[in-house]
Amino acid sequence: MTDQNIIEISGVEKRFGTFTAVKDLNLTLKEGEFFSLLGPSGCGKTTALRMIAGFQDHDAGSIRIAGQDMAHIPANKRPANMVFQSYAIFPHLNVGDNVAFGLRKLGLSKADMKTRVAEALEMVELGGLQARKADELSGGQRQRVALARALVMRPKVLLLDEPLSALDKNLREAMQLEMRRLQQKLGITFVMVTHDQYEAMTMSDRIGVMFAGKLEQVDRPEVLYARPCNRRVASFIGGMNFLDARVTGDNGATVDVNLQGFGPLTIDVNPNAPARSPDLLAGIRPEQLEIGAQRPEGYDACLQGTVSDIAFYGESVHYYVRAAGVEQPISAAVPNYFHTVDHKRGDQVWLGVQNASVIDLGARDA
Amino acid sequence: MSEPLNKPLSPAVSKARRKPIRFPWLLAYAVGYLIFLYLPVLLLPLFSFNDGTIVAFPMKGFTLKWYAQLGEQDTLLQAMINSLTVGAVTALVATSLGLFAARAYVRYRFKGRELSEGLVMLPLVIPGIIVASSMLVLFISLGLKPSLTTVILGHVFVALPFAVSIMKSAFDDFDQSLEEAAFDLGESVIGTFRRVTLPIVAPGIVASLLVTFTVSFDEFVLAFFLSGNQPTLPVYIWSQIRFPAKLPNTLALGSLLLLASVQLLLTAEYFRRRSTKSASKSA
Repeated sequence: MTDQNIIEISGVEKRFGTFTAVKDLNLTLKEGEFFSLLGPSGCGKTTALRMIAGFQDHDAGSIRIAGQDMAHIPANKRPANMVFQSYAIFPHLNVGDNVAFGLRKLGLSKADMKTRVAEALEMVELGGLQARKADELSGGQRQRVALARALVMRPKVLLLDEPLSALDKNLREAMQLEMRRLQQKLGITFVMVTHDQYEAMTMSDRIGVMFAGKLEQVDRPEVLYARPCNRRVASFIGGMNFLDARVTGDNGATVDVNLQGFGPLTIDVNPNAPARSPDLLAGIRPEQLEIGAQRPEGYDACLQGTVSDIAFYGESVHYYVRAAGVEQPISAAVPNYFHTVDHKRGDQVWLGVQNASVIDLGARDA
Repeated sequence: MSEPLNKPLSPAVSKARRKPIRFPWLLAYAVGYLIFLYLPVLLLPLFSFNDGTIVAFPMKGFTLKWYAQLGEQDTLLQAMINSLTVGAVTALVATSLGLFAARAYVRYRFKGRELSEGLVMLPLVIPGIIVASSMLVLFISLGLKPSLTTVILGHVFVALPFAVSIMKSAFDDFDQSLEEAAFDLGESVIGTFRRVTLPIVAPGIVASLLVTFTVSFDEFVLAFFLSGNQPTLPVYIWSQIRFPAKLPNTLALGSLLLLASVQLLLTAEYFRRRSTKSASKSA
């Protein structure tokens, strides 16, 4: 990643009739960055991507790629190429001709074209498959051909619309690592649209979380997980228990709160969630809670409750605990150490939490 | 589940599935219906080989002379050329128009789309005689004399619904991102159409060309009104039916046309199926 800005989006808006698909979008991406737009379906992330690609005009604001305003530049003249969700492999052409499709407009010699196609296919580990027909490709191979076909153009920006959603789980996870490796090797800026939080977190340098046309938070995956800016972002990324917290004292960088169910704690103020009302919404990740039959030692606050449900996830077990004064059951995740922790439904248990594990999510209605 | 997964279907179920359905009345009805529909058509080729000028049983004997005589009739050959010309031009024009109209109907949501589609399909249900007489009046008042040109105009009108519906089915399964991908890779709008859209819908285009050609080639009413002194083949046949001596020739000619039409439509259907298959493979 360099310090050079490659994409600068400011105040971009897109309306379809009376519906505003994208509201006041501001975003600056660095050269060589892997950026993901994450959000539920219909949140406007694909529309945003298509505006960068040039398939959709924007109604307000400006989009600049490599310093150049894209206002009246159509998709075929932009230094960005796209990998489509359906891969859009041309069915009447073989793999080599698919990859060479865009090169034909560049006025290269036959030999140069051949070399570049071969290099691109080598890059996505499809070396020597030039003559393979489009309908003889597996899902993973189609994805690789689509990638090679876009990368062979040596774009400044590669746009990816849910590139892995059509693949099965194992292949998807392998491709995630491979695409990340490829991106780092080439140093090209990747902008990916996805609704899969794990995909976004494993692949990206930064993630932008979108809801209802609005970009709510842009941050590194670790920050997004540790300091989400509000309830929507917190609930979209990882599991989260939401509890009310009454503010009893303000110490600047920390606040004293009375946490629903747990009692008094001193928690860090979240710089990403500046909105503040008398009371706070607090979040606790399930894996940050200690669960035990006895009151756990060395925790800043504890709570007693009854196990109401148990969910087995393989690598971890989630216990749902009902406690007095808390409407929703609180979920606590325990790594699966093969039943060293083993509670039954109806068991009386204790939950323990540290000050540092409680996340300030700002005002309750933000 | 308590049952083993690979348990075969119970004998009662599998037997019921394999057993042919027996409805003697339905079968009789179907056979009767087919005879009623196709017997007259089958009599045509039958009597074209009859060595006699009267179309009646018993037949006299087998001959090919009626077919042999066809080649010697200049007016017939001219009518054949007229029909081929009209058919070819009609097929080209109707298919080109149908191609663009169908792409717009399938791809875009615009004001008046349904109305426009309805209007394009309307010729299928308007009585041919009404269309023919009003076109004749219109063309004459425009100063266009009845000729092959006016026949072509009329035939494009009736062939367009066929072209549009065939091309629509070709575009229905066409993944739109294929065109976007081509454009994204630097191709122009026209280049995208030529290098991606056309090759993928090509089988549909061939099917449409064949069907619209057949529609034009077989059409009588419009040609009768609009052809003036340049008869197409069906108009020529009509004029020959008045002469009893020429009837066997007409039967022979009709049999050949029947064969050609069926052959063309079968080929068209083959291409139409290939077009839906090739377009859906891209997804």
